Amino acid sequence: MALRSVKTPTLTPPGVVFISSSIINKPQSLRFVSSSLAVRSNLKLKPSPHAAKFRCSASSSASLTPQLRDTLEKLVKSEKVVLFMKGTRDFPMCGFSNTVVQILKTLNVPFEDVNILENEMVRQGLKEYSSWPTFPQLYIGGEFFGGCDITLEAFQSGELQEAVERAMCS
Amino acid sequence: MGVTKEQVEASLTSKLNPVHLEVIDTSGGCGASFAVEIVSEEFEGKRLVERHRIVNAALEEEMKEIHALSIKKAQTPQQWNPTPPQDSSATTTTPTTPTTDA
Repeated sequence: MALRSVKTPTLTPPGVVFISSSIINKPQSLRFVSSSLAVRSNLKLKPSPHAAKFRCSASSSASLTPQLRDTLEKLVKSEKVVLFMKGTRDFPMCGFSNTVVQILKTLNVPFEDVNILENEMVRQGLKEYSSWPTFPQLYIGGEFFGGCDITLEAFQSGELQEAVERAMCS
Repeated sequence: MGVTKEQVEASLTSKLNPVHLEVIDTSGGCGASFAVEIVSEEFEGKRLVERHRIVNAALEEEMKEIHALSIKKAQTPQQWNPTPPQDSSATTTTPTTPTTDA
């Protein structure tokens, strides 16, 4: 996994990064979620029937079991930068998620994208884990960084770049 | 279903006692999407993430119905300071405001 951050070329034209990252990242993020959840807690992955329809908040009473907490902790630390979003980096299904994807792409940051629409358990559990009610949620260096507004503000002030650099160098 | 702008304002006002509060319904009428600007003493000494958490917590009930809450601004009164004090020495030494559009 760490390989990817090394492999993601900083000098490649944007189009190439786009294509290669979509091939490399997407299956991996899915694989990670499914393997860790299925193996670790013997939980079945069932894509929510409402997943594709939308959206957040409404029902949020999933209890965060120790196993789920453990799984989420591994997930948020699986890469230096992990974005939990609606849709994927190539097909964001929400304007706020798209905003954060565009910012990360602009910064040319290697990141893992996790589509929470495909995993209701991660979606509900993470709200509690992060104490944050909505998506997207950006994790940097295993720490919750913020949602869309915070990421945008931090991008404009330069704090995001600093946080990413710190995480990358650690 | 949905939440009104007034409900959001009432909750934020009663819980955070804001100096400045602007709630905009960005949902186009369904009441599921709001943008908020809030200035409150409660944010003093808190990082931005914590400030947003405070706002989210104040709207815990409403968040069940709200799809998107965009917190445009969460500042302390000192940061907000809409009328910056006139500093006569600064204005005379730094001619930053040209009087013509040359």
